[in-house]
Amino acid sequence: MLFAALWWTGETEQLDLHRDAGFILLGMVIFRLIWGVVGGSTARFSDFLHGPRAIGAYATDLIRGRIDRSVIGHNPLGGWSVAAMLALLAAELTLGLFTVDIDGDQPGPLARLISYDQGRTVAQWHQWVFNGLLALIGLHLAAIAFHAVVKRDNLIGPMLTGAKRHAGDAAPMRPAPMWRLAVAVLVSAAIVWLIVRG
Amino acid sequence: MRTKATLTAAAVALALGAAGAALAADMAGVIQARQTHYKAIGAASKGIYDELNKPTPQASVIQGYAHQLDTLAPQIPSWFPVGSGPEAGVKTKAKAEIWSQPAAFKTAADSFAVAAHHFAATAAGGDIGAIRAEYPTLTKACGSCHTQFRAKAPG
Repeated sequence: MLFAALWWTGETEQLDLHRDAGFILLGMVIFRLIWGVVGGSTARFSDFLHGPRAIGAYATDLIRGRIDRSVIGHNPLGGWSVAAMLALLAAELTLGLFTVDIDGDQPGPLARLISYDQGRTVAQWHQWVFNGLLALIGLHLAAIAFHAVVKRDNLIGPMLTGAKRHAGDAAPMRPAPMWRLAVAVLVSAAIVWLIVRG
Repeated sequence: MRTKATLTAAAVALALGAAGAALAADMAGVIQARQTHYKAIGAASKGIYDELNKPTPQASVIQGYAHQLDTLAPQIPSWFPVGSGPEAGVKTKAKAEIWSQPAAFKTAADSFAVAAHHFAATAAGGDIGAIRAEYPTLTKACGSCHTQFRAKAPG
């Protein structure tokens, strides 16, 4: 929803709202990066980022139509899809901090470190990376739809609740303690505050 | 006779084509110069913004940018000769409305010139508080013209 809001406010040049929404999303992305290290089992990068062999095996299974619902968390292809989206999102937000609008009166909070022309170039990149993000998000959503329709596997419920009815004997998701959540949120907010304040 | 007429027609067409090409090249130059001017305005605007957001803004820095704006703003109508719009075949965000509603365009451009002149006077006063208070008025004057006469599509 925040992403849609950023799209809308960017297109319609409501830059003050765009900036505030960007700060919130920046905090969320920083949180997700921290959570990928200290969070619940299925949230960790080590859980869903696998080497080429696992990806190959999964892709083969996928093509042969073998269904394996005993796994929880992102599958090997979906995991890298998440990583790619996170990386592009982080790049997009970083570029946004340096972006200068065409009128030069509502620049990003770190744009004072660069010139108007450089800031305009960054704005161009900000646009390109956004198109890349749209493509990756579209791909991710298409994969989710594929799972829902062809493989009859609802992925959205488990994403929201963390609970999944699984047929196999896979270990259930181990949530992280609440204090870690609180610390991660506070650290993310502090980093954003430092950046915004300049 | 027939041949001669055809040759004459061809020569005229060639001359017209050459004139057209020359005109198009001129317009490309006009549009390029216009974009350079507008980038200077944008850079000056960013310069003022950045200075105002420093812990201790220097009035002298802002005065320099304000003077640039005051010099460039009254020239704006002269940057838009007929033929330098979207029909020039060069990438430009200048909308056709600039030439189809010349009175409205002149009003908007004039109001920016007035705002730029007023801002320069305030800047000359050296009171950072007053300058800060007037900056939004200045940028609103930029924006009022842009919303009407500048296309959003990248170009």
